[in-house]
Amino acid sequence: MKKAFLHGILAGVLASAAGIIYFNIYQNTQGTEFNKIVNVRSISGVSIIACMLIALSYWLLERFKKEKWKGILNVLIALLSFASIISPISMSLPFDIKNPELFPGLVVPMHFFPALAFFTLVPFFKGK
Amino acid sequence: MKKLIFPIAIAATMLFSAFTVYTATTWKIADGYSIKFTSDDPAGVFSSFKGDISFDANDLAGSKFDVTIDVNSINMGNGMKNNKAKNENWFNAAKFPAIKFTSSKITKTATGYEATGTLDMKGVQKPLTIPFTFANNTFTGSFSINRLDYGVGTDKGMDSHASSILKVDVSVPVTK
Repeated sequence: MKKAFLHGILAGVLASAAGIIYFNIYQNTQGTEFNKIVNVRSISGVSIIACMLIALSYWLLERFKKEKWKGILNVLIALLSFASIISPISMSLPFDIKNPELFPGLVVPMHFFPALAFFTLVPFFKGK
Repeated sequence: MKKLIFPIAIAATMLFSAFTVYTATTWKIADGYSIKFTSDDPAGVFSSFKGDISFDANDLAGSKFDVTIDVNSINMGNGMKNNKAKNENWFNAAKFPAIKFTSSKITKTATGYEATGTLDMKGVQKPLTIPFTFANNTFTGSFSINRLDYGVGTDKGMDSHASSILKVDVSVPVTK
């Protein structure tokens, strides 16, 4: 449980850092102002929650001795990350926010950061 | 010399008459204006608006609105929707980049005023009456239009999900 928690929280911090760095680069290079919708708090919160959910799923598989299913879980996580991009593409922003067409470009990559961060750290938390 | 008396008299009469013509106050459109359209779906705003406004409550005959909305400034909060609104089937912004309203008559009503004129949208010109009020240097008006009357979209296929009748709310602060 401790290992899963550490894995989840570290992956969450890593995904948050990647998200915040990308957020700042994107806003500065594109000249957009999406702070009303996305900000450091929301990026950190969502990243940590997503990574903790993945960690919990991993822990449940280990707990019930279904470790062979981890491959299927990874595929499911990747599919869910991909499916979740529909949300920023289809959502309507408040009308006072300019250039809404640039919003998916900001948020879509972030949807893959939690899975990417979690999978990146898997080798460090492998083994008994 | 006698030949010049009448031409001079006519010129003088015209010159002095010019000073008696009363012109309505000309207003400049200030920042903070809003042109919103709402329905079940779609809804959005136009963020660019310009034109000439002459209005005087005591000289409605001399008052006039000649305003233009930039179609490319449409914002429905979603990039895909904005692009769709500008395409050929809807506003065709490439060919018809502006929506224009020119008033021909302004009258007083029980609640405010009414501007009657022509709305030119997507190359279709139709008469339109806009009820409005003027208070605290702000024009506020609200009216409804049927987008199908102007060939904006259709009522078939995917377009049928979009409301035909759109309520338009306009608020335009002005300065002298």
